[in-house]
Parts: sequence; C-alpha cells; structure tokens
Amino acid sequence: MKLRYIFFVLPSLVYVLAFAFYPSARAVYLSFFTSQGKFTLDNYKELFYFNLYGTIENTVILTVGALMIQLLLALGISSILVREFKGKRLVSTISIIPMGVATVVAAITFAFIFQTSGGYANTFLHYLGLSGINWYFNSYISLFIVMIADSWKNTPIMTLIILAGMYSIPRDLYYAAALDGAGPLRRFVHITLPNLKKFIAIALIIRGVSEFNIFALPLILIGYSPSILTTLAYSLYSTTTENLASAAAVIILIFVSVLIALNIKLGGKR
Amino acid sequence: MRRNLLVYAGAIIFTLYFLVPLYILILIAFSPAKFTLESLYPPLYFKGFTLNNLVYAFTQYDFVHPFLKSFFVASLVGVIAILLGIPAGYGLSKLPGKIAYAFIVVLLITNMVPGLVVAIPISVEFIKLHLFDSIPGLALVQELVTLPLAVFILQGTFSAVPKEVEYQAKIDGASTLSYLTNVLIPIALPGIVAAFLISWMFSWDEFTYAVLLSPIHPTLPVEIYFNIQRGNELAAVAFSLVFTIPVIVLTVILQKYLKGEYLAGGVKY
Repeated sequence: MKLRYIFFVLPSLVYVLAFAFYPSARAVYLSFFTSQGKFTLDNYKELFYFNLYGTIENTVILTVGALMIQLLLALGISSILVREFKGKRLVSTISIIPMGVATVVAAITFAFIFQTSGGYANTFLHYLGLSGINWYFNSYISLFIVMIADSWKNTPIMTLIILAGMYSIPRDLYYAAALDGAGPLRRFVHITLPNLKKFIAIALIIRGVSEFNIFALPLILIGYSPSILTTLAYSLYSTTTENLASAAAVIILIFVSVLIALNIKLGGKR
Repeated sequence: MRRNLLVYAGAIIFTLYFLVPLYILILIAFSPAKFTLESLYPPLYFKGFTLNNLVYAFTQYDFVHPFLKSFFVASLVGVIAILLGIPAGYGLSKLPGKIAYAFIVVLLITNMVPGLVVAIPISVEFIKLHLFDSIPGLALVQELVTLPLAVFILQGTFSAVPKEVEYQAKIDGASTLSYLTNVLIPIALPGIVAAFLISWMFSWDEFTYAVLLSPIHPTLPVEIYFNIQRGNELAAVAFSLVFTIPVIVLTVILQKYLKGEYLAGGVKY
C-alpha cells in the first residue's frame, strides 16, 4: 500500500538517472573510441603524454591538503559556535557568508591577494618587514594557494556538518568530565573527537568528492600549471577531441566512484 | 572568565578570516587603480574612494546579457526543482525507511558525479539537440546539482507536518492531490520557498556546467572568468561585487535551511 508513494519519487529518479548515469556511461563509451568511431585504447595511452601521474598526484595532494585545512578550521569554529556567548548569532552568520560567495568570485579575490607583484599577502608581509613571496614559485606553493582559497569558500559546509555533530553530544558528558578534573584539551580529545568520528568521516568523504572535482578555483588561480585532473580534462576538451577528454573524465570518475562507494558503505552503518 | 576570553579571541580571528577577502574585493572595487592593481604593495586600507571603476565596467562591458542569462537559468532551475521536488519529497516522507534510503543513496550519488564527466558527453548530445548554449539546456543540467538538495529540504519539511493533518484531510474526503495542493503545500510553504531559493542560489553560482555548455552566451560567473582571462580585471571585480551581494543576502536569510544534515545528505538516516 505504502509502495504507491514510489510513483511520487519516480520523476526525480528518472531525471537524475537520465542526466547523471547516462552521460557517465556515455563518457566511458566515448573514451574507448576514436573520433571516427573505431574502438581504441589510444585515448588512455595518450593521457600519459599529458603527465597523467603527476596530475593525479597533484589532485590527491590538493584534496588531502584542502580537507585537512578545512577540518581543522571547522573544528575550531564549531568549538566556538557550540558555546553560548554574546554575539554568537553574528559570528555564526559571518561564518556562513563565504558559502554565498560564488566560487569564481572567491578565486578572483584570492588571485588578487596572492599576486606575486602587487598582491595583498605580500603587502602584509611587507608591513611586517618581511620580503614578498613568489606564490607561484613551485607547484606545491601554487597548490597551497588553491587549498587556502578553497578552504575559505568551503569551510562553512564542513562547519555545518561538524557543528550538527557537536550539538548531538550530550552536554552532561562535559560537565561530568569537568568535575573529574579534565581540562579543555582532554575533554576535546576524549569526548568531542570520539563522538564526532561518524560526522567527521561523512564530512571528509562528502567534501573529499567535491575536492576531487574542484575546477573553477584552480582554473582561475593557477591555470593549467600545475594541472589537476579536472583542468587537464577541460584543456583536453577545449583543445583536442571529446574522446580524449572523456578518457580524462573517466579517470576522475574512477576515483570519485571509490569515494562514493566508501560513502555508501559508511552510510549503511549509520 | 579566562575561558570566555579564549572564545572571543577565537571568534574574532575566525570572523576576520571570513571577512578579509570580502574587504579586499570591496577595496579594489572602490579604490582608484593606482592604489590597487597598479601598485607593487597595494595599501590595505582606503587611500582614495572612487565609483569610476564601477561606472567604467558597466558602461564598457556587457553586464546585462550575462546577468539576464544567469537570472533566467537560475529561475528555471528553481521551478524545476520545485516541480520535481515536491512529489519526491512527499513520496520519500511516506515511504518505508529502507526504500526511502535507497532513493536517497541514488540522489546522493548523482550529486557526486563529477561535473566534467557529465558535461563532456552532454555537450556532444546538446549540439545535436540544439540545446547547446541555450537557457533550458543549461538549466536541465544544473538541476542535477540542486535537485537532490531540494528533495532533502522538502522531505524534511513535509516530515515535520503532523500525520494527523493528513488523516483529517483524508477523513474529510480529500484526494491525495487535493490534500497536496490545498493542505500540505500551504502548510509547508516556507520550506518550499527555501528549496526554490537555494536551488536558485546554487545555479546562480554554478560554473563547471556553464563554462562547458554555454560558452558563447555565458552566464555571469563565466563572463567574469572570461573578463579575467582578457585582462579586464576591474570589470571582473565590479561584476563580482554586484554578483555576490544578492547571494550573500540570500545565504543569510536561508541560514536555517542550510543545515549540516542536508549538506551531508541526510546524516540522520
């Protein structure tokens, strides 16, 4: 009887299947053919000419780094927002603002901040009496700039998830621990972190998938050097064939699929 | 007391962290270029104030068309999200947990499919279907980003309506359709509006699909990116500012609907 409600869900289901699963299957298909329609593995072979390994490495570094920065920031902000204090509403409103700032706008702003000549970060260093830094000196610094910009834009999402987790921890646990003489740090390590484990895992996987797909920020901030998987796929799309670009897209899909599978596995346990 | 001091110190540091980039954007938009883009160490405070940057940007570069395109695409995305999302949200709130969970997993997965993976094959199809670079074409694809979120919000809103309301309506002889249109939708209106506006907001800001599927008549984010590429930095800054203000206002208004649970794709299940 209750199953008739499936019909209400069907339109959405058909829609997302048509627009997500069909193109994904199509991308896999395209990646195995030449533009003349002949089966080939050359598209994948050709990817290695474009430094596929290095690109994957950059993507992984970027994803892990951005996640770590966001997690630390989100834990810090949530620890503050979970308490009652004067001005809490204002702080929580401000902490969500970057969510409303478009990725493109965030990218441009951070490009101005981290310009090598005429950048605001270097002005700040100058005020402190330090010399400016070439923010694009090597690929690690460049990736670090992207991580910072991305963390600014996306920490609010992480914060919302972590904060939801923190609110779910009974306050009594903290009072009891405080009575037993546990300081703030010990309470954080022994109560907050263990109780947040599930939320942290979910936040990391959900954000991790988005980080893997990160596109506009690196495109605007660092262009194609060092390249990551999405910018590589985009540059192949705009300069070569759909088939070669599809092959690069399929590599992204493989990595993301693993993360999605992890998410479902974790989700089943909640 | 010392504890409170620590909380305030932390709050101030984080507040600064979130506000400084926006301050820099405003600084560049309203300062003469010689104090910003043309200076080796641009000052961190206002040395001069001008509206010329904005006037110049809006008179010299096309703002209206990208703005309208973004606006229409986002509005269409919002409408589709509501049309598909209301039945889906209602259905999910009535289905047994296990089946609802299976649907939610599918929605979540689609939310995670990489934009580029979807956009590259779709661009090939769209050229054949004459949907490439069109408003409906882009809206249909961007819907993928917003529909799952809209469904989660609507499902949450509908689940909060007491069961008795529906029983009462059914006893009074209402069909499911008339219950939906006459009872449920009016009660759940705030949630529905939120779902529309959040869909609107995510589409307004979307870049990946827009740059691949609508590069000739771009939306505003893509136009801003193109301006940066062409070196029209002041135009990009001016457009960014106008582009950002409405979304920040919306974010603040919709704060209570931007919950961790929805963003985590239903952690509560």
